Amino acid sequence: MLEAINLGKNYGTFTALKSLDLKIEKGEVFCLLGQNGAGKTTTINLFLGFIKPSCGEALINGVEVKSNHHNTNSMIAYIPEIVQLYGNLSGIENLDFFSRLAGYKYGQTELKNYLTKSGLQAEAHTKRLSTYSKGMRQKVGIAIALSKNADIIFMDEPTSGLDPQATAEFTAISKELAASGKAIFMATHDIFNAVNIGSRIGIMKEGSLVNTISTDDIDANQLQELYLKTI
Amino acid sequence: MRREIVALIAKQFWTDAFKSRATYVMIFLVSVILTYAAYSGWKNYATQSDIRTQYQEEARKSWEENPDKHPHRMAHFGSFAFRLKHPLSLFDFGMESFVGNAVFLEAHKQNTVNFSEASFSTGLLRFGEISLAMLLQVLLPLILFFLGFGSIAVERENGTLKISIAQGARWMEILVGKSLGLMKLALLFFLPVAVVILLLLLILKGTLLTTDELLRYVGTVVSYLLFFQVICFVSTLVSAFSKTSKDALVKLLALWLFFVIILPKTSQALGSYFYPSPSKIEFETILEKELIKKGDSHNPDDPYYKALKDSVLLVHKVDSVHKLPFNYSGFVMREGERTSAEIYKKHHNELLKTFQKQNNVTRFTALFNPYVAIRNASMALAGTDFGSYVNFQEQSESYRYQLAQEMNELQMELISNISPDADEEPHMISKEHWEEFPDFKHQFLSISTALQNEMWSVIALLFWSMASVILSGILSKKMKTI
Amino acid sequence: MYFLIIKQFIRSKTAVLAFVILFLMGMISILIGKQFLSKQENTIAEITRQQQEHIERNVTYHKDNLGLLLYYVRFALVNETDNLAALSVGQRDVNPSVRSVTIRNLEGQKYDTDLNNPSNLQSGNLDLGFVIIYLFPLFIIATTFNLLSEESETGTWRLIAIQSKSKLRYLLVKLSIRALLLYSVLIMLFLAATVTLSLHLNEKLFAFIALSIVYLTFWFALCFWIVSFQRSSSFNVLTLLSLWVALALLLPASVNNFVTNRYPVPEALETMIKQRDGYHEKWDLPREATMNKFFAHYPQFEKYASSAPGFNWLWYYAMQQMGDDESAEYSRSMREKIMQREQTSRLISLAIPTMHTQLLFNDVARTSLSNHMRFLDKTDEFHERTRLYFYPKIFQNEPVENENWDEFKPEYISERSDFNWLNGLSPLALITLIILFLTILNTRRI
Repeated sequence: MLEAINLGKNYGTFTALKSLDLKIEKGEVFCLLGQNGAGKTTTINLFLGFIKPSCGEALINGVEVKSNHHNTNSMIAYIPEIVQLYGNLSGIENLDFFSRLAGYKYGQTELKNYLTKSGLQAEAHTKRLSTYSKGMRQKVGIAIALSKNADIIFMDEPTSGLDPQATAEFTAISKELAASGKAIFMATHDIFNAVNIGSRIGIMKEGSLVNTISTDDIDANQLQELYLKTI
Repeated sequence: MRREIVALIAKQFWTDAFKSRATYVMIFLVSVILTYAAYSGWKNYATQSDIRTQYQEEARKSWEENPDKHPHRMAHFGSFAFRLKHPLSLFDFGMESFVGNAVFLEAHKQNTVNFSEASFSTGLLRFGEISLAMLLQVLLPLILFFLGFGSIAVERENGTLKISIAQGARWMEILVGKSLGLMKLALLFFLPVAVVILLLLLILKGTLLTTDELLRYVGTVVSYLLFFQVICFVSTLVSAFSKTSKDALVKLLALWLFFVIILPKTSQALGSYFYPSPSKIEFETILEKELIKKGDSHNPDDPYYKALKDSVLLVHKVDSVHKLPFNYSGFVMREGERTSAEIYKKHHNELLKTFQKQNNVTRFTALFNPYVAIRNASMALAGTDFGSYVNFQEQSESYRYQLAQEMNELQMELISNISPDADEEPHMISKEHWEEFPDFKHQFLSISTALQNEMWSVIALLFWSMASVILSGILSKKMKTI
Repeated sequence: MYFLIIKQFIRSKTAVLAFVILFLMGMISILIGKQFLSKQENTIAEITRQQQEHIERNVTYHKDNLGLLLYYVRFALVNETDNLAALSVGQRDVNPSVRSVTIRNLEGQKYDTDLNNPSNLQSGNLDLGFVIIYLFPLFIIATTFNLLSEESETGTWRLIAIQSKSKLRYLLVKLSIRALLLYSVLIMLFLAATVTLSLHLNEKLFAFIALSIVYLTFWFALCFWIVSFQRSSSFNVLTLLSLWVALALLLPASVNNFVTNRYPVPEALETMIKQRDGYHEKWDLPREATMNKFFAHYPQFEKYASSAPGFNWLWYYAMQQMGDDESAEYSRSMREKIMQREQTSRLISLAIPTMHTQLLFNDVARTSLSNHMRFLDKTDEFHERTRLYFYPKIFQNEPVENENWDEFKPEYISERSDFNWLNGLSPLALITLIILFLTILNTRRI
C-alpha cells in the first residue's frame, strides 16, 4: 500500500535520495534510521508530495503521488517533528480546524474523543496551544492524524525532545495504531524505540537505503551495532 | 477549490490576527487618523464651499447693482468664476489644493485661476495632505502588508504549513483563503469609511444624492474594493514565495516604497523633464506675437482692421462708420474678441496637450502599478483630477467669452455711432441688461466623462483584480511547501 | 577587521542595490534641479527681451498720450533665484519668481500665477532635498535595522559576544561603516550638484550640507536606538518604517491639514472682489468723492486738480488707486493669515525633524513662503515707486519722448536667506542628543 520504485531526488549535483525501492504493507510499522542528511526526511517529503522526485515514483495505495497528491494526501496523515499548530487556539480548536481541512466536520464530543484517545488529558483540551508542552502538542498532532481516518501515518522524528514518560506514552499509542491495521512510516534517531515499535527497520546512508531488517530478527543492542557499522 | 475550506482558512486568518495585541494597536491608531482625516475633509469642504458660494454671490450682487452704463464698462467690470468643490472631494482632495479657486473674467484677457491653497501654503505641503483617500491608498496597503506578511511564510517557518498540506488543503485554497482573510481585515477599515463618507455626503447636502453623485460614490467604493483585493493577493503571494517571514516583510515593504513613493514621483518628474512646458512669459509672448500678426486692434494703422473696415463700409454701402446701422467699435471689439479667443484657445490646448504628455508618463505606469491606477481613478471620481480642473477652466473661459460678446452685441445694438462730446453724458444702456445675463455656475463633469479621462486607470484596476486571481491560480501549481 | 566588516557589508546585494538606487535618485534630482534653474533663467532672459519689445511697441503706438501708454506698459520685478533653489525648489514652483505689473491698481495683478501643471505640483518636486529628507532615511533603515538582529538570527552573535572585547564597540564599528558610506554618497551628490549647478562654495551651501548631515545623524541615532532594544529583525523593520511613515508622511501632512483648516484665507477672495469694485464703481460716482480720497492719500498731487468736465487721466488713475486703497485692509489681513500659517508650521516643526529640515532647506535656498511674502512686499514697494514716478508726469501731460524708455529694464531683488546656524541646527541636534541618551541607557544591557 506504500511503495517506492526507483525513487530519487537531486538538488543540482547533490543527491539527496538515490533510487529507493521499498514496499510497506498494512499494519506494518517501518522505522527509518540514519544520520542527519541521510535522506529520511526527503523520503517522507516525496511521499507527502511536498517535493517532486527527480526520478522514479512514490505510490500510495497504488496511486502515484507526483501527479495526484491531492488524491494521495487524503489517504495519509502526517505528524512532523515539531507539531507547530496555532498557538492562539486551544487543542480542540486546532483539531477542529485541521480535521475540517481534511474535509471532516466533527462534533465537540467526537473531537474530545480523538484527543483523549491520543492521550491528551481532558482539562488541557480547551487551553491555548501556546501553553502546551512538546509532548502535548504531539498528542494533538496524533489526534489530527487519527481524525483523518488515514490508513498510513508518516512521522518525522516523533520522539526527539520528548521526556521519557511522553516517549512511553507515544510508544503505546503507536503500537495501538499499528494493531488497528494502520501502516506507520517513521523517521527516527532513536534505535531503542525503533526496535520497540517497529516491525521493520531501514538504515539509510548518503541517500541510499543500505539495510532492511525485520525486528523479529534483532534486538536493540544488535541493531545499534549494525547501525554503527553501516554508517 | 472547496468553498468551505477557503472560508475556514479565511476565518482562521481573521481570528489569528485578533489574537495579537499589535493588531488592536494598529486598528486603534488607524482609526484615530482616519477619524482625523474624515473630520479634516469635512471641515475643509464645508469651509471652502461656504466661502466660495458666499463670494460668488457677493460678486454677482455687485454685478447686478451696477447702474446704467456703457456695456463696455461692464465688459471690463467683469465677473468672477469660483471653482466649486465636488462633494466627494471631502473624501479625496486630489489636486484641489494645487489648482486655483477663483478667476477674474473680463473682456480681452484670459486671467489665470488664482488663489490655490498651495499659494498660501508653507513648505509643508510638499509632504502631502491627509485625506481619507490618501490613507486608503498609501497607509492601508502598508497596514495590510504588516498584517499579511506572515500569513504563509510564518506557517512555513514553523511547519504548520506541512500539516495543512498533508491534511489535504490545496495551495489555491490556502492562497485564496489567506487573501480573503486579509481582505476581511481591509474591509474592517474600509467599510466604516465608506459608510461615513455616505453619511457625510448626505449631511452636507441635506438632500438625497443625485444619480451622478450616487454613481460616483458606488464607483469609488468598487474601485477601492478592487484595489484592496489586489493588495491582499499580492501580500499573500509574496508571503507564499518567501522562505522566512522576515524575507516576506522586507520584500513587501520594498514593493510598497517603490510603487507608492518612488515610482509615481519619479515618473511625474521625468514626464515634466522630457516634455517641458513653456513659462507664462513665453506663453504670453507667443500669444501676443500671433495676435499682432493676425491684426492688432490697438494699433490705429493696423492693415487687418483697416481692411475689415473697408469691407464693412462696402457691404453697407456707406462711406463712414458713423453711418453704419450698428455701433462700429462694438463690432471691431467683437471681431477682436473672437480672434484673440481663438488664438488663446489654440495655444492653451497645446499647453494642455503638453501637460497631458507629462501626466501620461505616470498614467502609463498605472498598467503595472495599481497604486497609480486607484489614485487616478479615485481623483476622477471625486472630481479632483486634472480633467475636472481643465473642465472648470474651459467653463470659465467660455463664460468669459459669452460675457464679452454679449456686451459687444449690446454695444452694437444700443450704443450710438456718434461719440458724445466732453460735456455730454456718456452713452449708457439700462441696468436691466446686467440682470439678464446669467451668473457663472460651475458644473461638474458627468461621471462618464470623468471616467473616460481616466479610462486607463479603470482598465488597469480591473485587469489587476483579475490578474491577481489568475496569477494565484497559476502560481499555486508552483508553490513549495518547504 | 574594519576591512572585513566593510567587505561583509558591501558583498550584500541589498546594500549595493540600495546604494545604486540612492545615488541614481540623487543624480536624477540634480538634473531636475538643473532643468528648474534653466527654466528660471529662460524666463528672466525672456522677460528682459519681452519688456524691451513691449515698451518699444507701445511707445510707437501711443507716442502722444502718456496716460494711455502707461495703461498698457508693464514693468517687471524679478525675485532672484539662488542656484541653491535647484536643491530645494520649495514654493518656487507654485509661486512665480517674476511679477510684471502696470501702474494700475496692484491688487488685481499681484496674485497672478504661473502656468503650472497641477499634477506636477501635486506630485511635488523631486529635488535633492526630497532625496535627502525622504530617501536617505529609508536607506539608513534598510542598512541598519538588522545590525544586531541579523547576527543573533544567524547565530553569529553568540560567537561575537565571546570573541570580541566589546560587543557595543563591534556594533558601533558596523554602524560607522554604514554611516561612512552614506555620508560619502551624500558628499558625492553635493559635489556633483556643485559642478552641475555651478553652486558657489559659500556659507549657504555649507549650511545646506551641515543641515543634511545633522538630519541624517538624527536618523542614524533613531535607528541605533531601535536596534539597541535587541528585538527581532521583523520587529525593527516594522517599527522603523512606521516611524518613517509617521515622520515623513503622516505628521507633516496632518500639521498641514491642521494649519489649512485653522487659518482659511477667505480674505483672498474678498480682496479680489473689493479691488475690482473699489475701482469700477467710481465711474458711477461723483468725481469729487474719488478725487478727495486720492488727494487725502497723496496731498502732493492736489495741485493738478482740474475742474474741466469729461475724462482725464488724473481721475482715471485716482479711480485705479481706489481699487488698492479700498482693498488694502483685506489684503493686509490676508497677509497676516498667511504669516500665521507660516509661524504655526515653524513652531510645530521644531519638534519634527523632517518638517524642520524641509523648512530650513527652503530658507537656505530662498524658496520658502516667507521669501515669497517678502517678494510680494517688495512688489508693493516697486509698484508704488513706479507709479509715484509716473503720476506727476501723466498729470502734467508730459510728452512721451521726454522719457528715456530704454532705461526701464526688469529690476531684481535679492533677498537675504533666513538661515541662522544656531536656530537651524539646535532643534535637530537636541532631538538627536535625547535619542543618543536613550540609546546609551539601552546599550548598557548589550
